[in-house]
Amino acid sequence: MNYVEWLRVRNCLKWLAIVLGALLVIGLIIRITVAVQMGNDESFVKHTMTEPGTKISHSVVGGINRTTILNPREHVTITIDDQPDGGRVIRVVEPSGSHREHADHVTIGSFSATHSQNGTTETTIIDTDAPVPFAYYLAMAGLVGLIVATIFGATFARENDGHLEIALLKPVSRVRYAFGVIGADVTCIILAEAMTIVALAIGQAMFEVPHFDFSGANATFVLVALLHPFAWYALLNAATASLKRGAGAIVGFSWPVALAIVIFSHVNLGNSVTGETFHAIFWTLSRVIPASYASVEFGHDDSVSTGLAAGPWADSAQYAMLAALALVYGALAVVQWRRVEA
Amino acid sequence: MSTISIKNLRKTYGPYIAIDDFSIEIPQGCVYGLLGPNGAGKTTTFKCALGLARQSAGIVLYDGAPLVPETLEHIAYVPERSVLYDWMTVAEHIEMQRRAYRKFSVSRANELLLQFGVDARKRVRALSKGMRTATMVALAIARESDVLILDEPTSGLDPINQRHVLNLIINESARGATVLFSSHQIGQVERAAERIAVIDRGRLALEGAVDDLKADRKIVEGIFPSESFTLNGLASDPRITRIDRNGRIVRALTSHDAQDVLARLEALGATGLRIVDLNLEDIFVYAVAPSEATADVVEAAQS
Repeated sequence: MNYVEWLRVRNCLKWLAIVLGALLVIGLIIRITVAVQMGNDESFVKHTMTEPGTKISHSVVGGINRTTILNPREHVTITIDDQPDGGRVIRVVEPSGSHREHADHVTIGSFSATHSQNGTTETTIIDTDAPVPFAYYLAMAGLVGLIVATIFGATFARENDGHLEIALLKPVSRVRYAFGVIGADVTCIILAEAMTIVALAIGQAMFEVPHFDFSGANATFVLVALLHPFAWYALLNAATASLKRGAGAIVGFSWPVALAIVIFSHVNLGNSVTGETFHAIFWTLSRVIPASYASVEFGHDDSVSTGLAAGPWADSAQYAMLAALALVYGALAVVQWRRVEA
Repeated sequence: MSTISIKNLRKTYGPYIAIDDFSIEIPQGCVYGLLGPNGAGKTTTFKCALGLARQSAGIVLYDGAPLVPETLEHIAYVPERSVLYDWMTVAEHIEMQRRAYRKFSVSRANELLLQFGVDARKRVRALSKGMRTATMVALAIARESDVLILDEPTSGLDPINQRHVLNLIINESARGATVLFSSHQIGQVERAAERIAVIDRGRLALEGAVDDLKADRKIVEGIFPSESFTLNGLASDPRITRIDRNGRIVRALTSHDAQDVLARLEALGATGLRIVDLNLEDIFVYAVAPSEATADVVEAAQS
């Protein structure tokens, strides 16, 4: 009964597959380039290994092949741990010209670099297979889900614009038809997110064996990554379900308007009456925007958000609000579309 | 299921009255033509009949029952403008119909499209206006439905395909389907329809079997010797629908007994008396046009 909507879903997923495929090809090209570059990066280690007086020893510790390079002349110790899953941890301990105490840490995906100085000893640890929090994947998937939700944000308005005679003359009730449409679109959002996760995993596998970290609040991310696009999709459709034209403009401006409202709701506009009034208005408006409830946090120092703002909401309240917004906006969209006349 | 009853239909858009107290009864298997000038309310009537628009008052019954979603399994509709999806192929439209309607015949649809010269592999955006109309007609006919409602089904078609559509309409009626259609091409309506209704500014102006309407309605024309003459109550004769004076010429539109009216005019002193037959177009113009219609009809008859 909802064949047209499923065709739209198919087309959307087809284009998403093309985009992801193109990105993977770009990733492959980068991988090939990096492979050459990586050889150069390891030249320091190679140089140290060929220094006169350098002692190299090999051992196996708990399944890890450890190579220890000791250069007494430069006072450099390099430990390379080749792990069974393909990962590699390089630890370089060397003297420093200055005396200080500090520590820096950088994590990009599975690449982790820690540099610390303790007195006159510098230690650098490079871990090329640090566990990747699955939340990164879900955050990206959630973003793609939001884009797909926006693409389908005027799904009823598209029928209103010249096709109602087809849509409304099917031998089913309008409500059932509308739920069929929503079901197809929601399926598309889920599949798009799944495709994104798979593509990201493939992309990572080009560089290393994926080492996911499923620990922590991953259920949170799954829920937010799904509920946020659902609520956004429902909001856009509630805003456009009764329109025959002009829905594209609403969908087009939806992102900047929503971002502006959420940002202004968190900006201190001053202690004047005007500032507080505007802040109150934006804060109130932001309560009906799903992004206000889509913040999640994980780990110690990192924060990943599928929306923008970290609200004062406990996790369960966030999910409840996102789910409630999805349901209320979805119901509003269906109720409005029921009343549309050709 | 195929008798359509439209009773006291009224549809308003704010203060504007699109349909007002419109009632017609369409028997099973009948080809019924709905005529009216632009903006008369034909399309609105169709939309109300199909539940695409909510009537403000009145009721539409199919075999005595109001329209429910299941009824739509038996009703096929061709709108006056293309409602096809531009980005889909014609074949995908066929598949869409097949999935939606149990009785839809894919082979019949393909056969009709072949007859119309439509390539099913093409996207709708690549089709001309006429081809889109033909596609919609083919998809509707292939439904093998009990009721066909067609709004300007020959719009944009070449004369050959127009004739083909008319033949399809007649064939559908012969199969037992009830057909309600509108067209600005009155000749087509005259050829295909058994009964017609003329709607003007939302109200029913005329209704009946085409043959009866043509048989009953005549214009009786007479010329008086001078411009000062009296009709002696002729205008209030119940057989006369309308009477127009133009100088010495009097034209009376009669609904029956034209010979008697002619005799009365003769008795009043008119000469050059004659009875002019009306075709469906004349009848339509009489029903909806202002008073100069009689002159137009007589001039057309003279030429």
